Amino acid sequence: MAEENTNSSTDENSKLIGLVAQFDDPESLVQACDRARQAGYTKTDAFSPFPVHGIDPALGIKRTILPFIVLSIAIGAVFIGLGMQWYTNGGSLGEFSTDESPVFPGYRFKISGKPYFSLPANIPVTFEVIVLSSAFATFFGMWFLNKLPMLSNPLHRISRFKRATNDKFFLMIEQADEQFDRGSTEAQLNEWGAVSIDECRKDLTDNNLPSWLRLVALMGAILLLLPPVAIFRAMGMTSRAPRLHVVPDMDWQDKSKTQTLSPIMMNDRYLFADERAMRAPVDGSIARGQLDADTELFEGIKSDYVPTVSLTTPQGAVRTGLGTQDEAEATPPVEDVSMYVTEFPKEIIVDEALLQRGQVRFNIYCAACHGYAANGDGLVNQRAVALAATGKAQWTSAKSLHDATVSNAAKNPLGRIFETISKGRGTMGPYGAQIPTADRWAIVAYVKALQETGIKPVVAVSEDENSDDAEASEAATTPEDKTQPTP
Amino acid sequence: MATVNPILDNTYDDAGERSPLILGGLDYAGVTDEVCGIWEADKPPKIWFVVLGAAISLLMVLGGCVGHLLMDGVGVWGNNNPAYWGWPIVNFVFWVGIGHAGTLISAILFLFRQNWRTSINRAAEAMTIFAVVCAGLFPGVHIGRVWVFYWLFPIPTEHLAMWPNFRSPLLWDVFAVSTYATVSILFWYMGMVPDIATFRDRCTSKIGKFVYGLLSLGWTGSARAWHRYEIAYTILAALATPLVLSVHTIVSFDFAVSQVPGWHTTIFPPYFVAGAIFSGFAMVVTLLVPVRKLYGLENLITVRHLENMNKIIMATGMMVGTAYGIEFFIAWYSGVPYESYAFYNRAFGNYWWAYWIMVSCNVLIPQVFWIKWCRTTPWFMVIICVFVNIGMWFERFVITITSLCRDFVPSSWAYFHPTWVDVLMLIGSFGLFFTLFTLFCRYLPVIAMAEVKGVMPRPKDH
Repeated sequence: MAEENTNSSTDENSKLIGLVAQFDDPESLVQACDRARQAGYTKTDAFSPFPVHGIDPALGIKRTILPFIVLSIAIGAVFIGLGMQWYTNGGSLGEFSTDESPVFPGYRFKISGKPYFSLPANIPVTFEVIVLSSAFATFFGMWFLNKLPMLSNPLHRISRFKRATNDKFFLMIEQADEQFDRGSTEAQLNEWGAVSIDECRKDLTDNNLPSWLRLVALMGAILLLLPPVAIFRAMGMTSRAPRLHVVPDMDWQDKSKTQTLSPIMMNDRYLFADERAMRAPVDGSIARGQLDADTELFEGIKSDYVPTVSLTTPQGAVRTGLGTQDEAEATPPVEDVSMYVTEFPKEIIVDEALLQRGQVRFNIYCAACHGYAANGDGLVNQRAVALAATGKAQWTSAKSLHDATVSNAAKNPLGRIFETISKGRGTMGPYGAQIPTADRWAIVAYVKALQETGIKPVVAVSEDENSDDAEASEAATTPEDKTQPTP
Repeated sequence: MATVNPILDNTYDDAGERSPLILGGLDYAGVTDEVCGIWEADKPPKIWFVVLGAAISLLMVLGGCVGHLLMDGVGVWGNNNPAYWGWPIVNFVFWVGIGHAGTLISAILFLFRQNWRTSINRAAEAMTIFAVVCAGLFPGVHIGRVWVFYWLFPIPTEHLAMWPNFRSPLLWDVFAVSTYATVSILFWYMGMVPDIATFRDRCTSKIGKFVYGLLSLGWTGSARAWHRYEIAYTILAALATPLVLSVHTIVSFDFAVSQVPGWHTTIFPPYFVAGAIFSGFAMVVTLLVPVRKLYGLENLITVRHLENMNKIIMATGMMVGTAYGIEFFIAWYSGVPYESYAFYNRAFGNYWWAYWIMVSCNVLIPQVFWIKWCRTTPWFMVIICVFVNIGMWFERFVITITSLCRDFVPSSWAYFHPTWVDVLMLIGSFGLFFTLFTLFCRYLPVIAMAEVKGVMPRPKDH
């Protein structure tokens, strides 16, 4: 019996997959399925143009695990959706915040003082992420569990089977089933009311792909890889060529920028005779708000001052030092301090409001280097000093404004402080362009107030005299520290 | 009963038995033949070519406008201070609203076991997807520099060094609409696979066999596959149901989360969703009445189907009307002068004409559906539904334009003037929509055959 079975199931050209019986209505199909299951067949399948109710128990189909796949993906999506927003909004865990991440840093939006991460604002996107992921899980999970797409199926070789998607119903009993027997199975199917029975045979002759197809597919795959490789290569290397402007945006505009040549008109003539794109003010004119003839207010220099020694300004001194005097390092050029005003200009009224204004401006512009208490310990300075110590940067330390050379009114009158702020001094840059005149005077007033109230550096106090503060700080330290000079 | 069916009018309810969903005594093969007949015909009807030709002409107009817009910038629109959101957002909300009916029919009516949905859901879903395509176009080109559209998405790249703002309703909108489009396409395609398999098995041309064979993924109608397929379909319906409600809710957040008087109202989400269903069903009726006439599908898309949709149109139309009334009540009851002025201005300000077009088309005209003749006469209901869609376009126009043109600062008040690009892009978007829909009618199964067969009376019952 078994030998007969194998003989009939395989010949040189094709292999028997199973028997396919046709039924004309769903009820007969369900009954046949039921009887096939009772007869002990397990490798069976039914085919119908629409889902037939009651066929699952008749065939003994177990409930699919698809809902659990979708559920697990959906639960994962909750964390992915929330996590994505938490990360990109600069979310933090203890000390760490994702906006400090070295790659793909988060971005802290401070909007209307709201927290960086708040659940209500993140619900809509989280919800959409859940739905999208679950829908993908459902769609692809269903095809995966159904082992589809399957683009070649021996069933389609049966001409009658084409009506499985139209109006007929089929039951297949596979040859692989233990109960299967070519003769008796066919008899059983007939007994259960099959209208017709076909053999489903797998064609063994044209299983192989054409030999050229593999080569073509390989070459196609390699060719497809080239563009992304080229793009990634270009992204990872430097180039001296100007970058590609696929879409020019507003990269080139029909305008002249500052400090450029005048546009050229016809016959190689410049639009402006002086060949510059920028225009100087008309002679004798002064732009509104730029009349700064009052040297006391605008420069901090006495109005009746007449220079007696040439090149006495700091800038001049530097130039002289470099250019003419051999002993420049030994004896810096004499600076005529008498030219600076020692009182506030009459337009500046020193009162509580001015000092407060000065404090605000000082904290914005000066404290970064000089520190809030003007001790010369601003964050920029601390960082730069630390970098300079390792040789990674060059830095001249910002001065403490309580330093005697700065606070001494004779050496450093008000006008000189004002000039320092306006024009810079040493390595300090000029702030005249950034801070309006009145604010610069306000800062001067605040600096003087800071010096007067005398927040003195702890270091200096502990070295000079044993004040209460110094004793208190020393009491907190170990005795060994006392003997060593404070760094 | 199923073999010789004397009933030609299935709109009367008989307490003794259910009215048949399908007429003409069709059996399984009959359903297949009717639906496949559209696609198997050697030549489509002449009117199909006329519609396709007109639609493609309008599509080319749209393409020209988009090209002009991309070359010259968004300044070619009428959007300007104070109405920076002009017709593009009006058209976007209009189309995305229309795109709600399909998924509603497929998902919500499926969960409620409304079997009459089977005849109309395929075409309605297709309509949904094409409407969402039209909707996506407008914000898509509104971003100005479309070549950097990917800035909308959270893409980890060092080149951009920036993330989207996840607290902005506009970004929620990106997620909502793109999720909705994706899930709608998955749902539509998955529902279509068994029917594409029918096409594959009936196809005679080589190209057709290849294309439909590929698209049907090797579907055989196996009971094991059907089992998982039905569960997957239910899950997708359960996912799409909150999704379809969320999409227009989030679209309404674009307005409601801002503080402009007339926008900043909590009623917007339900009001927008009701309006979306209202306009979507109107569009389904507008499309299906000619389609069923042209292709002789009266036995499958029966008058009862159309009547049911008209009932939904009337119900949602009255919800929208209630919302209009509630807005006025809240404006008065809140005591906020800006809010009161915004609504007084809507009805009696310089856009009074738009407001009363909206109220007439959306609230008054659908009331004719109380009369049975009106909701069972195909040509008449199409006219009503066209009015509904005109009204719904004006609803979005009124919300967007009147509120922006009268904001907090009287010095910025102005009157909005659309440009010819605005007008042609709206008309052109219909070209895009109808091109896709006419192609769909020709090359894909217009009716979900497998689902219709599933709810047909079994032959043994009779």
